[in-house]
Amino acid sequence: MSAIVFTGMGIISPLGIGREAFWENCCAAQHGFCKIKAFDTTRMRCDVAALPEHFQPGQYMPAAEYRKMSRLSRMATAASIEAMKESGLKLESMDRDRIGIVLGTAFGSSSHLDEFYLSFLKDGPRGAQPFLFPETVQNTAASHVAIYHKIPGPNVTFCQNELSAESALAYAINLLEQDLVDVVLTGGAEEVSFTQFECFHALGALNPIKINEGDVIKPRLRGGHILGEGAGVLVLEREEFARKRGARVYGRMGACVLQGGQAVIGHYAREGRALGRVMEQALEQAGLKAREVDQLDLGANFSGELEDLEYSRIKQMFENIRRVTPLKYLLGECSGSSSLRIAAGLLSLKEQRRLPTLDVEILKASGSHDLIWEPAQTGLTRNVLMTFATYGGGVGAVVLRKVEA
Amino acid sequence: MINHQKKRRVVVTGLGIASSIGTSLTVFKQNLFNGVCGIGPVTLFDTSGYTGSPGAQIPDAALQAAFSPRELTRCSRCDLLGLLAAKELLVDSEEVFRDCPREKIGVIMGGGAGGMLTWERHRRPLWLGKKSRPAALLSAACGTLADRFANTYGLGGLRTTIATACSSSATAIGYGFDLIRSGSQEMVLAAGSEAFSELTFSGFNSLRVVDPEYCKPFDKNRQGLSLGEGAAILILEEYERAVRHGKTLYAEVLGYAVNSDAYHMTAPHPEGAGMMKVMERALKNAEIAPEAVDYINAHGTATKANDQAETLAIKRLFGEHKARRLAVSSTKSMVGHCLGAAGIVEGLATVLALAGQKAPPTIHYQTPDPACDLDYVPNQARSLNMQIALSNSFAFGGNNTSVVFRRVEKS
Repeated sequence: MSAIVFTGMGIISPLGIGREAFWENCCAAQHGFCKIKAFDTTRMRCDVAALPEHFQPGQYMPAAEYRKMSRLSRMATAASIEAMKESGLKLESMDRDRIGIVLGTAFGSSSHLDEFYLSFLKDGPRGAQPFLFPETVQNTAASHVAIYHKIPGPNVTFCQNELSAESALAYAINLLEQDLVDVVLTGGAEEVSFTQFECFHALGALNPIKINEGDVIKPRLRGGHILGEGAGVLVLEREEFARKRGARVYGRMGACVLQGGQAVIGHYAREGRALGRVMEQALEQAGLKAREVDQLDLGANFSGELEDLEYSRIKQMFENIRRVTPLKYLLGECSGSSSLRIAAGLLSLKEQRRLPTLDVEILKASGSHDLIWEPAQTGLTRNVLMTFATYGGGVGAVVLRKVEA
Repeated sequence: MINHQKKRRVVVTGLGIASSIGTSLTVFKQNLFNGVCGIGPVTLFDTSGYTGSPGAQIPDAALQAAFSPRELTRCSRCDLLGLLAAKELLVDSEEVFRDCPREKIGVIMGGGAGGMLTWERHRRPLWLGKKSRPAALLSAACGTLADRFANTYGLGGLRTTIATACSSSATAIGYGFDLIRSGSQEMVLAAGSEAFSELTFSGFNSLRVVDPEYCKPFDKNRQGLSLGEGAAILILEEYERAVRHGKTLYAEVLGYAVNSDAYHMTAPHPEGAGMMKVMERALKNAEIAPEAVDYINAHGTATKANDQAETLAIKRLFGEHKARRLAVSSTKSMVGHCLGAAGIVEGLATVLALAGQKAPPTIHYQTPDPACDLDYVPNQARSLNMQIALSNSFAFGGNNTSVVFRRVEKS
């Protein structure tokens, strides 16, 4: 079986719109947090989220195409348009039945869902707005992508909280390995909406940051999530197929392992055995030793629980580890769109520049700290190990590898 | 990476069900073949003002008898229905999962609205400026039930939730099949669950696709679907392992396919192009010729558009002659449209049909429709010699899934 490679990416992220802006801000360790203006946060303990504030769907598609779409679908479709363009794929000469679309989202189009339900609450069954309802299903983004590009191939959406995009990636690999498709658009999207934000607030899961215009945003370590939104769509194909068409290759899929640990609902796995297991299996599948990992990108998200889980495991596996990259400290908890982290890892391989890092001991710190990032550095980057976890107990590990010229 | 060259055989060795026509396998089976209708008044919330108010609801008494007050408070209705479907099946989970490393047992869920009702019970008071109980929100996300299954039964394999609306849990069967066939997992708990919510009820009513009485799939006078709630589980297992452990082999999963109409968010392609292709690909994936198919458990929602397009798709794939000789029935006529759980409930019905050599009926069928002119097994189950069956699931967004099952001969 031919190796699987990444040949394109579409990025709508709090760190920048488009690959170049995203990478530049990643390297500079510029966070994407800002004050929420889209809805009232007065009653809530947090008024900050990581948002792609300057996203304009009109820059990607005509208004007639996006008018009925939710923000989630707009971001996903825009990211898919950019990813297709970047990959150099020529749809008109391809067998579109052999192109898959596999996306993840944790909460779907929650803004449309809320708007539809409010229309029902206000005006009863006869007042419920039919044009809003179709956007409330979770597969709406992937379906819009299929309709926009006229791609009738396999189309699946995964909804496993913070492991949604990784679940999508695993299934995309499954399709390619069986030779059911030539190419897959995979990744995920997430939107920050009033109802999603309010639920996290009600559960006491948000980082307690309230800011005024011009304030320096200082997240509280182990204080709770800073929610994020965005879309990251990646183009995945068999290396043979990519080489034949002369595609630019960002990196190779080394391994993608997903499993589950035991957890109380709403919490991360109680102990780290499952996380340790997926990390070991991912390295084994990629044919690597721990010492060959050049960059360790963690899922740490200010929750505290996930920091503890990852700290214990990486200390065990990587004896002398000093620096790690918890990219969600910049990106926010983008839940279903953590494919953005994978995009950052791929760019690191492509550019041979390691992502900014923090001292690993920051994972054990609490309260308000200045995060002292060591900026991105040029250096041989062959293998990136990424860890993923979600509340409820799911865990995952991904290995990305440099492609030799 | 997964080794897809292995191509191991995948069999169904366990069935669990919670539906409006039975919350035990025995009762469900009996009612399925007797053509019992589970559609009636919905009591879960106020349904006055809806055009189509009946639905296939699971009686609250079934949940109250099965769960503690704490569980009833803490879990969403969707999670409870899923756990109810597991109760009988996994009463002795040690035996079901015997000698299988727990990290090689996956949980693949198909989800729909998930804990929407729980969210609504938070959202409504919030809108009214009143207090709610936010702790219950932990159960609102669509992926929670997969976690509950895994945590309750100590399953440590791949765990995920597919959310492609009405085809979700059919795809869960398919993905589970892939994982076992390739050797990535030894066993998979493939499941789906859907509970009523005001959102889905008002949503489908707003689209004017709900029958005010009860759904009448493929009938000329059909006026739309009837919503249903339910949950089902298929235990998928590698064949050799199942035989070695003396498991009951209900049926074999031979293959499946997923695709997209890439046409419209709510309407199927009028000529059933995507539907035809997905069946064709599922058969190709299963290495089965269309001529070998004996029975199709149709998506059969009873909407004008779906039933006509599905009929057309079947005729285009199998040819007029063969299509007319096929038995095609809609389980939704009895259990309603269980949305995220529809694929797995109907997959389970298909497995029972193969195991019992009997096609379940399409009930409420009175007046033939010239646009739907196949053999829909009207009103009465029929004994049938069948080896191969398809189960179709088509969804909002144009997501299509078709799963191929084969009868397992008793040794």
